[in-house]
Amino acid sequence: MSYSIEVKDLQKTRDDFELGPFNLNIEPGLVTALVGSNGAGKSTLLKTIMNLVKPTSGDIRILGSYVNHTESWKQDIAYLPQNKLGHDPFNGMQLKELVSSLYPNWDEALFKRIVKDLDVNLKKNFKNLSPGGQQKLALALTIPRNAPIIILDEPTSHIDIVSKTILLDLLAEWMEDGERTLILATHQVEDIRKLADMVAIMKDGNLLAYKDKEALIETYTQYWMVDPLPTESLPGEVRRKGSKTVITNDETELEDYLSQHQLKWLNKETLNLENTISLMLTK
Amino acid sequence: MELPIKLSEQSREPIYHQIEHQIKALIASGQLEAGTSLPSIRALSKDLEVSVITTRRAYQNLEYEGFIKTLQGKGTFVADINVSLKKEIKEDTVANALRKAIGTAYQHNYSKKKLNVYLINY
Repeated sequence: MSYSIEVKDLQKTRDDFELGPFNLNIEPGLVTALVGSNGAGKSTLLKTIMNLVKPTSGDIRILGSYVNHTESWKQDIAYLPQNKLGHDPFNGMQLKELVSSLYPNWDEALFKRIVKDLDVNLKKNFKNLSPGGQQKLALALTIPRNAPIIILDEPTSHIDIVSKTILLDLLAEWMEDGERTLILATHQVEDIRKLADMVAIMKDGNLLAYKDKEALIETYTQYWMVDPLPTESLPGEVRRKGSKTVITNDETELEDYLSQHQLKWLNKETLNLENTISLMLTK
Repeated sequence: MELPIKLSEQSREPIYHQIEHQIKALIASGQLEAGTSLPSIRALSKDLEVSVITTRRAYQNLEYEGFIKTLQGKGTFVADINVSLKKEIKEDTVANALRKAIGTAYQHNYSKKKLNVYLINY
C-alpha cells in the first residue's frame, strides 16, 4: 500500500505544548476528518505536514517524498490554512490570477463553477468580505488547484447552510476520482457525517484514534437498567448517568457481569458519532 | 439516483451487510430493474452517511454474487439475475421481516393466538 501522507514518530515540543509522538498513515481515496477541542494540535499537525512548522523529531512524507528534503510535493497538495495571510489588500480576481499562475494544473472551469454556485464575491477586497465570504473565496482559490491532495483547516465554520450543502456535494464529487485524498480539520458534525470516511481524533497533542466511521461508533454502548446499579465500577465503564444508566467500552465483559449478578437491562444502544467523539474527548 | 435504503446503527447486522441485503431486496422485488445505473460508491456513502470503505465492501460482495456489474469508466449497473434467485431472495426478505416482527411480539409477551389474529385480519 502506498500512502498519500505518512507521518512517522512525529514529535513537536514547544514551551507550553507537546505534539505527539504518533504515527498516521493516510490512504488515497479517503476523506479524513481531523477533530479535537481547540488547542488539541490539529492546526500544528497540518502545518507540520506542510513543512511550515519543523518537527522536533520524526518524518513526514507526501506521496513518498520527504517534505523537508524536496520541494516538488508542493504541487501535489492544496492547503487552505485558517489564517489567510497576505490576502487582505487584494480582491478575488487578483488573488485568482496570482494563485492560478502558481499551479500549472489550475482548473479554470471548476473555479468559475464554484464562484457561481457559492456566489463568491470577486470584486471586494478580501479584508472587506464577511468571514463566510472570505471562506468561500478561499475555497474557490484552493479546490481548483487540481492537486491530488487537499488539506482544509476548518473550511466551513462561517458558511451558510445552503452554501455548505453545495460545498459538501462538490467535495464529494471531487473525491469521485478515487485516488484523491482530502483532509479536513473541522468542528462540524455534519461535515463528518456526510463526507468523512476516517476520523482522526486529537486531544492535548495526542492522536487518540484513527478509525473509519463505522468502527468508531462501535466504541461505546449505553445500557438502561431495570434496577439501580451497584456503586462499584463495572467492566469497561466509562460513564454513568444516574443510577440506572451506564456507558461501557466493553459490551461482552459488561454483559457477563450483568448476567452473573442477575441484573436486567431494558435497552442498549451504541452512542452516535457526535456523542462518541464528545465522550472520547472528555473522559 | 437515491436508493431507498434505511440503515440502523443499533442492529447487530454490520452496516455493509444491511446495504448489501437491502440492495438485493430492491433487485429481487423488481424496484431496481436489470440495467439500472446505481450511484457511485462515493455518492452512496454520502447519502447513507457511511464511509466509502463500507459501501465498497457492500458493492464488492454484490458484484461477486452477480447482482451488480461495474463497467470501467461507465459506472455500476444492476445485473440480470435469474428468476429462481430472485424468488429465493424475495422469500428471504419476507421471512426475515416476519421473524423480526414475531421476535418483537414475543418480547412483549404476545401469545401465538394473539399473533394469529393479526395475520388473519391484516
